[in-house]
Amino acid sequence: MWSGWSKTGTTVKQDRSCVSVVQMKCLLIASESAEVLFHWTDPEFQQNIQEQYGASQEEGQGLPAFEDSISTLFAPIIISCSTMVDRLGDNYTSFTTENNHIYVLHQFDECLYIAVNGDGEEGEDDLRRKIYVMKKMIEVMFGMVTLSSNLLRKELRPQDTDQRARLWKHLQSLLETYSHLRENDQSFLVEAVERLIHPTLCEQCIEFLERRLVQQLNSSVERAGEEVLHAFILVHTKLLAFYSSRNASTLPTSDLLALIIMAQNMYPSNVDLEDSGPEDVESTSGSGPESFYTPEPSPTDRDSSSSDKPVRGSTPVFEFVDPDIQMAEDSLRTLEVPPPDPSTPRRVFLEVSLKEGLYPMMPHSMYCLPLWPGITLVLLTKIPTTAVAMSVYTFLEAFANLEKRLSQGQEGSAATRGPPTIHDIRSKLDKFIKALGPSEIQSAQLQNVWTEFKNRAFTRGGPGFNKHLIPWCKHMKTQLCGIYRQCFLIDSGPADIPRRLSPSLQERAQTMVQEKLMDWKDFLLVKSKRNITMVSYLEDFPGLIHFICVDRSTGQMIAPSLNITERTTSELGKGPVARFIKSKVWNLVSTTRRYLQKGYSTVTLRDGDFYFCYFLWFENETGYKLEAGDIPILPDDSAPIGMLAWDYYSRKLLRYYSKNHQGEVVKCYELLTVHLGVIPTEIILQHCRQLASKLWEPSRNPLL
Amino acid sequence: MTPAACDCPAFLRRLSPRSREPSTAHTRRPAGVVSVRSPVTERFLRCFLRDFLSVMAELQPSDSGRCTYFFLYDGSKVKGEGDPTREGICYFYPEETPLDRQELLCGQLAGVGRCVSELSLSPVRVLQLRRNKFAIRMKDDFFWALGCSMDVPIVSVCELLDQLIDLFTFYNGSIRQSYQLNSQEALAARWAQYLSHLQSGSSELHHIFSCLRTIDSTNVDPLLLLKAALILQACQRCPLVLAGCILFRGRVVSTQMFPELTMKVMVHESETYTKAPRSNGQSSSSPSGGAVSSTTVFLTLSELQYLQSAPVDKDFSSHSTPHKDTVPPRKTRLSRTLSDMASTESEPSDPGSPPSPQKVSFSPDSTFSPVPSQSLEPPFSNGKHSHEAEEEALEESYYHSFHSNGGGGGGGGGDTSVFEEDSPLNGGRGDAACGTVFDFRESRSGNEESRDDEVQEEACRGGGVCGSTGDPLPPSPPPLPRSGALGDPEESPLVPMTLYMHRVKGLVLALLVELHFLSDTAATEEVYHSSLASLNGLEAHLRTISPGPPGPPGPYFFSHFDCIQSTLTTNLSGGPGGAPERPFVRATSLLHSHFCNTETLQEAIIRSAGAAVYGTRSVAQETFFQQHGASLRNSGIPNHQDSAFSLPSKARHRLLKHGVNLL
Repeated sequence: MWSGWSKTGTTVKQDRSCVSVVQMKCLLIASESAEVLFHWTDPEFQQNIQEQYGASQEEGQGLPAFEDSISTLFAPIIISCSTMVDRLGDNYTSFTTENNHIYVLHQFDECLYIAVNGDGEEGEDDLRRKIYVMKKMIEVMFGMVTLSSNLLRKELRPQDTDQRARLWKHLQSLLETYSHLRENDQSFLVEAVERLIHPTLCEQCIEFLERRLVQQLNSSVERAGEEVLHAFILVHTKLLAFYSSRNASTLPTSDLLALIIMAQNMYPSNVDLEDSGPEDVESTSGSGPESFYTPEPSPTDRDSSSSDKPVRGSTPVFEFVDPDIQMAEDSLRTLEVPPPDPSTPRRVFLEVSLKEGLYPMMPHSMYCLPLWPGITLVLLTKIPTTAVAMSVYTFLEAFANLEKRLSQGQEGSAATRGPPTIHDIRSKLDKFIKALGPSEIQSAQLQNVWTEFKNRAFTRGGPGFNKHLIPWCKHMKTQLCGIYRQCFLIDSGPADIPRRLSPSLQERAQTMVQEKLMDWKDFLLVKSKRNITMVSYLEDFPGLIHFICVDRSTGQMIAPSLNITERTTSELGKGPVARFIKSKVWNLVSTTRRYLQKGYSTVTLRDGDFYFCYFLWFENETGYKLEAGDIPILPDDSAPIGMLAWDYYSRKLLRYYSKNHQGEVVKCYELLTVHLGVIPTEIILQHCRQLASKLWEPSRNPLL
Repeated sequence: MTPAACDCPAFLRRLSPRSREPSTAHTRRPAGVVSVRSPVTERFLRCFLRDFLSVMAELQPSDSGRCTYFFLYDGSKVKGEGDPTREGICYFYPEETPLDRQELLCGQLAGVGRCVSELSLSPVRVLQLRRNKFAIRMKDDFFWALGCSMDVPIVSVCELLDQLIDLFTFYNGSIRQSYQLNSQEALAARWAQYLSHLQSGSSELHHIFSCLRTIDSTNVDPLLLLKAALILQACQRCPLVLAGCILFRGRVVSTQMFPELTMKVMVHESETYTKAPRSNGQSSSSPSGGAVSSTTVFLTLSELQYLQSAPVDKDFSSHSTPHKDTVPPRKTRLSRTLSDMASTESEPSDPGSPPSPQKVSFSPDSTFSPVPSQSLEPPFSNGKHSHEAEEEALEESYYHSFHSNGGGGGGGGGDTSVFEEDSPLNGGRGDAACGTVFDFRESRSGNEESRDDEVQEEACRGGGVCGSTGDPLPPSPPPLPRSGALGDPEESPLVPMTLYMHRVKGLVLALLVELHFLSDTAATEEVYHSSLASLNGLEAHLRTISPGPPGPPGPYFFSHFDCIQSTLTTNLSGGPGGAPERPFVRATSLLHSHFCNTETLQEAIIRSAGAAVYGTRSVAQETFFQQHGASLRNSGIPNHQDSAFSLPSKARHRLLKHGVNLL
């Protein structure tokens, strides 16, 4: 009782009872001029805003009125942000109010993201993660257009209000899907992919995908120039089989997780179904897939969201600061809103690593084919014009580098040193523009800007390479992004030449896999809920309550299922107890991330009746444990630790660690355990050691 | 006293020669009277402060714990579009900041703060930038912001800001009123003073834990601590004295107040310390002048209630009821009785803590009789005798005071028996520590209550909450409803009291007394004379204690924070920039934040490549421990032979000799 002394805790508590509690959540993207580029709010937030604005605006007009009020309310914050950046070179990262509302702010280029939580369920780190995930989803959807704030702004805020409403609804639903997964799915908690543990079936499926499916698809004439690179089968969020064709590069975990979110968003795991025990699944399994399929609650939303690309019409005219530079107007023709076509693939932009180097945000088509509710086949294809994207990226990078050097004060040849040299770029870009000429892509503006650039940069006696060229670097980048946008974001081209796997081909693929898995379907649905269970560990690890083990090199995780539904009894008991343990596990993950961010790779905590452990370690390829080394210490507002939005482990940790292990393959593992507090520490540590050494040998591990 | 002899930090020493005049003016100010100061003085003061603050900044360039910005902004002065932001800036630290930057920060932060608080219907508490974190307090139109560098835990920044504002209120009363009554410059000097006082902690750990600086009790004869406690108890016999503390060279020897209040009192002590020889500055009503000073201070109702509910008073009032003859004491006693009753209900454990027995038996009337003070004369005059003589005198003085008072009590048989019953407890050498122990216990039980009160009050007037720090601590009993506390936030009652200080060289007796104490000659004389000899004796003893050899630091770092007494024990050298200590301090800071935010967390081991640190806490303490030199070469994979996991048992053994019991 004396701990009432500890200053902060009590005050918070007291405050909660005194101040009226408004629970609300919101995520807002705004331009520097306080224009709302996207917003997501929960009903409480909406209500709160409307109350503050009085009843006058809430009726009738719906979206625009709410949008106006939200932008008015946030405008002072947004404007203050740019003032702080301009005049102080610093920016806000978060606000906390006395009733524990948290505001997290982050600026990406000219887009300011603000995430708000008022119910105490998300901390600052969670909100920051949400912001980064939102940005990641936008990158997957818009690719390199995100590199031009100007274009992205127009992309995110189409002038046509219907189109805007559709796009925002889609983004909002993605965000909600992500939030739901993060709060309920362990693989999205730790941001690693969970595989279904059934080695035989997995192997069979991979073989099937390789020998039968992908081969057949890629040899079909109906593929319209597309080539299937990756194919995978998801059971809810868990991966049953993943196959990549030989000439495909590895799909990064970050992208795979983002794709799982998109698939989950398209075909959400039915919540009722999730709550039902295995018996219920059993009883309904006799009926055919069609009757079992739960229709979408609002088909229009779903349809529009799955086909918002082709719907895109009447894109506004670009308004540049410089009136001379008009972006080519590519889509003045107003498209009739076509009937939603489920076979239309989704354009996604994924990272590709080739021999030549790393190409982020390369265009792919994603086909999400539902096999049964909860089981989905996903195909990722390379589109025929990928080479254009690679060229654009090369040019973009070159101009970005040039701009950077020029703004650092370098001039002349110092600024233009390669590779690739500016002369290289010059000839390549000339060829590129020439090649674009006869195509439908409107490249006149790019041509003009490029000519002007060349005049300034290369003309004898001209200004040459100095800081006056910086705006022209920017113009070039914008134009290149515009070309990229025309190529990959707008379904240009005659409608009679479909640029996708034909619907019948898709259907055939769907049927093939359905046939293959027909006998396994019910098993898989149950297995996905009971992938591995604590029961198998109780005997060998008395006192162990839960664990999560993550292989960060492959981005995969293993953890016993945590079922917290009322109807099913798991090893953790029913509802409340299981929920309590679940909340402990979720807290543990965020706690250990905070310590990891500050350079601590081992954490043990005695908390209430539990003892928590966290270990992070490195091994070489042969499994030899490498010595623990320095881990970078990151600032509070650094990108969240995880793999979805930004791969901390490969981008930061391994890069940092590998400095002392050059030429060696370094693998990184994490283990989290929850034990009963009464178990002696030595025993707990022995358990951890056993788990750490056994878990990644599934074939040899009798427990799996 | 020469400044060099001070135990105060360097920058205060620098301050001392020149600061006398302004500070004196401050102390001279009677309650509620505006002190008018010439513009010349003001300018001098501002220039001086600027100098000294910049010197301070230079002296501590590497110390990241320091505050980077502090400002108070009055939004009511900038209402219209055309009003310049500078009109609203009441105080800005660092003062040499260019005005346009001051305006930028004040304007932007206050603006954003208002916007966010409107959205959330609650004042902003924390505002973080990429390179600075600000604790914010918004109250009425006032906006305070205290900025620290990123490595200070936000919990600590919030705490620092609360302390700063509380300090100002303690010495100046309500903010709005002080700004109506005083010039902005005068108040700016005070903010600067409080800020520098709060930042004067010698090590980075002091920025993490806001702690009281106490004398090193391992070096001090426990009997001296007992004596200090007895002096305070003797003073408390005067009903106009609420509570007191004894400080020696800026450190606490003994206190009857809860830590927050003691901390506040110490500001004035360190301020008067430097100008002790000057006697003209004090509003002295004491018989001897010189060493006695007083100033008006403002207590919150809850602080006052806590002080009045000290267990000793309860017995006192019940026992002394039959003795009440005169009107004035009856008055005070009556009010105490009422508040005592209220607090008894909320603190069932109170009767268990031993009351100061000797007090129980005496009526206030006897305390006021001039006889005992006369009997104290001899030891006073003997004050400069040898060590032993002094000791004798000291003890004698107690003896005298007990007996004379006992006699004054009217010779009732019951009184004497009470005294005799209790005297072995207090006088026995073997039980020497008892006095201090129950002194703490007393403050402990009271602390909590007062904290609740404060909390409630602060919450209600919209301040004082560290919102970002997350989870609340275990449920505390619902605060008692109090009249006033729930009323108009601006009018949240502040009760003026007098802070009375009696200085004997490096030793200070600080008492919180009722306002009319100073006009009550009998009372002042009584308190003065009854304590003077003992103070002299105590001072002589404490002065001779050399800070024993620091001892080998040991192959480990530790820090032990006593949450009840707000004291910190550590073996860190404490100087800024101690590179080997950095990992330990960093881990401590993280773990402390974690402990603050997670009520159920009991212990933690965290390991980076360079250091493994063990932290453990209970309701009463937080302890952090790091072993040096233990081979940290490991793979990070779980291993029960790993040295990191033996830290808990090592800490238990090693820290026993520092008086830290983790068993």
